[in-house]
Amino acid sequence: MIRLLLPAFFVLSLTSLLSAALAPNDVKALLDRIRTKRAGSPQVQADFKEEKTVHLMNKPISSAGKVSFQAPNKFRREVSGSSPSITVSDGQTLWIYYPKFQSAERYSLGKHSPLDAGIAALTAALNLENVESSYHITASQEGDGYALQLSPRNPSLKRLLTTFNIQMNAGLQVQRTEMIQPNGDHIVTNYANESRAPIPPATFEFAPPAGTNVTTPLGR
Amino acid sequence: MSYANFIARLVTERRGLVWFGVVLIAAASLFILVTRMTLDSEVLNLLPGKFESVQGLKVYNNDFAQTRELTFALVCQPNDVDRLEEFAPIFAERLRAQPWTTRVLGGSPMETPEGIRDLQSIAVPLLLNLEPPAFAETVSILQPANLQTRLHRLHEEIDAGSPRPEFELQLDPLGVIAPALKPFAGNAALQQGEPLASPDGTLRIFLVVTNQATLDAFACQALMEKVNSFRKTAGAGWDGGPLQVLVTGRSAYVAEISLSMRHDIVVTLLGSILLVSAVFFVGFRRWLPLLGMGFSLLLCCLVALAVGLLIFHELNMVTIGMCAILIGLGVDFAILIFGRYQQARNEGTAHAPAIAEAISKLGRAIFFGALTTSVGFLALLLGGAAGFTQLGVLIAIGILVAGFLMTSVFFLFTRERSLPPRHDWILALVRQYVRRMLRAPALILWIALPILLSLFAIAISPRPPIIFDASTKSMEPKKSDAGFALNAIMTKMPTRWEPVIGIVRAPNEEQLHSDWQRVEAHWRDLQTAGAIKDFSTPAALALSPKLMEENRARLRTIDFAAARQALETAILQEGFSRATFATGFALLEQLQAVGRGTQLIPDWRKQLPVSSSWWFLVDRYFAQDPLLTVGFATSNQPVVTHEQKEKLREILPVAGVPMTLSGWSFTLTDLLPWSHHQLILISALMAFFDASLLAVLYRDLRLWLIQVATLILAVGAMIATMKLGHIPLNLLNVLAFRLVLAIGVDYGIYVLLVWQKAREVEHDVAGVLKPVALAGLTAIAGFGSLGFANNPTLSGLGIACAIGLAWSLFATIFFTLPAAAAVKPNSVQGTT
Repeated sequence: MIRLLLPAFFVLSLTSLLSAALAPNDVKALLDRIRTKRAGSPQVQADFKEEKTVHLMNKPISSAGKVSFQAPNKFRREVSGSSPSITVSDGQTLWIYYPKFQSAERYSLGKHSPLDAGIAALTAALNLENVESSYHITASQEGDGYALQLSPRNPSLKRLLTTFNIQMNAGLQVQRTEMIQPNGDHIVTNYANESRAPIPPATFEFAPPAGTNVTTPLGR
Repeated sequence: MSYANFIARLVTERRGLVWFGVVLIAAASLFILVTRMTLDSEVLNLLPGKFESVQGLKVYNNDFAQTRELTFALVCQPNDVDRLEEFAPIFAERLRAQPWTTRVLGGSPMETPEGIRDLQSIAVPLLLNLEPPAFAETVSILQPANLQTRLHRLHEEIDAGSPRPEFELQLDPLGVIAPALKPFAGNAALQQGEPLASPDGTLRIFLVVTNQATLDAFACQALMEKVNSFRKTAGAGWDGGPLQVLVTGRSAYVAEISLSMRHDIVVTLLGSILLVSAVFFVGFRRWLPLLGMGFSLLLCCLVALAVGLLIFHELNMVTIGMCAILIGLGVDFAILIFGRYQQARNEGTAHAPAIAEAISKLGRAIFFGALTTSVGFLALLLGGAAGFTQLGVLIAIGILVAGFLMTSVFFLFTRERSLPPRHDWILALVRQYVRRMLRAPALILWIALPILLSLFAIAISPRPPIIFDASTKSMEPKKSDAGFALNAIMTKMPTRWEPVIGIVRAPNEEQLHSDWQRVEAHWRDLQTAGAIKDFSTPAALALSPKLMEENRARLRTIDFAAARQALETAILQEGFSRATFATGFALLEQLQAVGRGTQLIPDWRKQLPVSSSWWFLVDRYFAQDPLLTVGFATSNQPVVTHEQKEKLREILPVAGVPMTLSGWSFTLTDLLPWSHHQLILISALMAFFDASLLAVLYRDLRLWLIQVATLILAVGAMIATMKLGHIPLNLLNVLAFRLVLAIGVDYGIYVLLVWQKAREVEHDVAGVLKPVALAGLTAIAGFGSLGFANNPTLSGLGIACAIGLAWSLFATIFFTLPAAAAVKPNSVQGTT
C-alpha cells in the first residue's frame, strides 16, 4: 500500500518544489498588478476550450468557442460545433440562444436572482476586480506564471463553488481555469488568443431573431 | 314618607339591614364572576359583526392554519449580511428542533432535496387533475420519439451551460411533472414576490407552524413563553454584531394583548382610582366618604360585570375599560350628593335630615344624569360591534347602579359626628367666581365665547383637516413586540400591499373544483385587462374526482413498456447518468399502476409529510376543513378608499360562486361608511335625545338654547383640539362623540336645574358648581386614565372622551352659567 502511494508522494513533492506559495502581501501585490493591467483595458476576448464533468452525464462534455468580457459585468460566450449556442449578458439580463432549435432562454439578473452567484463565478477569472471581497485567495508562482486558488467567502457562492483555480502566464493572461462544484461537477476551461482590443457594445446586446421561441425558466 | 326620607332613615337607623343587602349583592356578584368569567380576546369582535367582510376576516383568522403560524425574523447589521446567510440554516435547524414546532420554512422548498421529493410525491393526482387537452399534451411526452427528442434537447442545453436542465432533471426527469405543477406554480408565483430575505440581506424570515393545541389566550401565553425562552438562546454561536430575533403572528399578538389586558386593568383602574380619589379628597378632605365612594364604585363594577356575564356569557377585552370609566362617572354622583350633604351640615342640619335634603335636592338631577349617560352608552349598541355593545350595556347598568348606590349605600360611610372642614378653599374660590359671574356675566362671556367660537370655527373649517385613520395600524396595540417585529419586516421587505381575500366554501370537492376554475378564469381575465395586479387561487389543488377518473382511464391507452424502453435508449444515446432518471422510472411504474387500477390515485394530502415546507403554500389556501378555501387578489393600488373597495366588490365575484370578500384593508375601508354613520347619525340622535330631554327638564326656551349651544360649542372645541393636536379619529374612537354628548350634558343639567330653583343664587349655584367641577375633573381623570392603556381602542376612546369632557366642563362653567345669568338678570338680582 505504501509503495502504491509513493508515486503520488513524489508528484506532490515535485509540485511543491516547482510552485512557491506567495505570502499574503505578495498575493495583494499580484492582484494589484492584475487590476492595474486590466484597468487600462477593461475588455477581453479569447478563444476557449472547455471540458465539463457533470453528475447528470456519464461522460465529460467538451465544447469550444469564443468568449468576450467587458468590465464590470457584460459578457458573451459563443459555443461552436454541432451544438452551437450563444450566451449574452448585459448585466441585467442573461440570454441563452440555441440556433439549432430557434429557441432562447431569458433570465433576469440581480434582485437576488439565483443565477447571480453563477454569473459571478463564471466571470471571476475575467473580472478579478474586487475579487477579494468574494473569495479567500491564495496564490503561488508556477514556473514564470501564477496559480490563484479562490475559495468562496459568502454562502451563495459556496453553494455553487467549492474551489476555483486560475492559472496565469507571466503576462497575467488567464490560461486555464478549473472549477469544482459541491455536487462534484468539474469544469476545466483553457483560454487562448487573448485580445484586449475594444469590443463593440453590440456584442453584449441580444435580440432574439424572429420566430425564436423565448422561455423564462425561472419565471422572470 | 318621601323616598329621600325613607333612604335617610334606612341608612341611619337600619344600617345592619342595608349592610346585609350589600353583602348579599356583593357575594352573588362575586359568585357569578368566579364561576362564569370567560374573556374574549378576539380583536375582531370590536368591529361590527353585521359586515360580511368582518365575518370573512373572522373565518380567515380562526379557521386557517395561519392561526398557528409564527413569523420569525433575524435582523443583523449591514456588514454581517454574509454571516447572517450562513447562520440562517443553523437558526432554521434550531427552530425545527423545538418541541413546539410542526414545520419550519427558512427558504424555498425547491432548494432542498426534501422539498423536491415532496413535490414529486404529489405529481400524480395533480397530473390527473389537468383539463383533458392539457392532460393529453402532457402525457404525449411519454411517446418514445418525444422522450428521445427531449433528452437530446437537454443534452444540448447542458452543453451550452444553461442552468435549466439541472433544475428540470432534478425535479422532473420524465417531463410530465412540470406541466402537472404548472397551475400550482402559477399560484406560487405570488410567493416569489415575497422572498424570505430583505433586498439588503440584513433581514431573513422564517415561517413556523406551531403545534399549539388550542388558540385561546392562555395557550398563546404558554407558547410565547417557550418561544421567548428560545429567542434568548437562538443566537448562540453568532459571531457578528447585534442580532435581533423578532417574532410576530397571531399567537404573539394574542399573548401580548391578553397579558396587556392585565396591565391595562391595573393601570387604568389604579390610575382612575388614584386620580379620582385625589380629586375627591382635595374637594372634601374626608377619608370615610372617600372609602364609601370607592366601596360603592367597586360594588357597581361587580354588579355590572356579573349582570354582563349573565347576559353575554363572556366579556370582550374592551370591557376592561368599563371599570375605569365607571369610576370616573360614578364618582360624579358621590361628589354631587356629598357636596350637597356637606352644605346642609354646614348650615347646621343634622345627619339624617342632611342626607334626606341632599337626596331630595339632587336625586332628580342624578337620576337624569344617570339616564342620559346610560342612554349614551347604550347607543353603542347601534354600532353592532360585540365588544362595544358589551361595554355600552355594562356601563349603562353600572351607571344606573351607581346612581342608586350613591344615593343610598354611600351614606353608610357618613357619620353624625363628622363635620365638614371650616375652611373650604375650593368652595371659597367657586363662590368668588360665582359672585363675579353674577355681577358681570358679560365680561366672562366676552372672554369665553371668543375662545369657544374660534375653536368652533376651526372645527367646521376644512383646514386643518381632521385626521381619519382607517389603516390597520390604528388597530394595533401600542408598545407591542409583535407589532414591532411586523413593522420591521414590512419596512425591510419589498413593498407589497395586502391582497383582498376571497373565501369560498363548497359542499363537495367537485363543486370546489368547479368554483375555483371559474374564479381563476375570471380573475385571469381581470389581470389581463389590468383591473387587478395579480392573483393566486387554490384552483390547482382543488381536485375534481370526475376529471381524475376520466384521465385515469386515458392512462390505459399509454404503452408504458415502450416508454420505459425509449427512455432507457435515450439515456444511453445521450450519455446521461441513469441515476438521474431513477425517479422518472418510478413515476412511470406508478402511472402504469394507477392506470391499471392496481393502485389508487394517491391523496396528495396524505402524500405530503407533516413537516413538508409545501404545507406553507397549501395552508395558505385551505382551512382545516378542506372545502373551505381562500384566494388572493392584489389590487393595482393599496385599498384605502371606499370607492376602491366598491370597485373590487363589483369586479371580483363570479356569478353563481358564493364568495366572501375580506382582508384587513378591505374590511377597514368597508367600515368607513359605518364609522361615518356612527359619527354623524348616531351622534345626531344622541344630540336629539339630549335636546328633547333638556326641553322637558327646563321648560324654558332660553335655558334650553343656552344648553344646546353649550353642547355644540363643547363638541366643536373637542374637534378643534383633535385637529390642532393631530389626534386622529379612527373607526372606533368616533364613538366618543356620543359619550361626550351624553356625559357633558349632565354638567349643564346639574347647574341649570339648581339655577332654576335657586332661592339664594350665589349660595346655591356655588354649592352645586364645586361638585360639578370636581365631578368633571374626575370624569376627565377616569377617561384620561384609559390613555395609559396598551389597547389602542381603549386608549383612543379615553383620550377623545377626556378632551370632550374637558371642553364640556369649561363650556358649562364659563359659558352656560354666565349666559344664564345674562339672559335672566332680574331673577339673579332679585335673589342675590
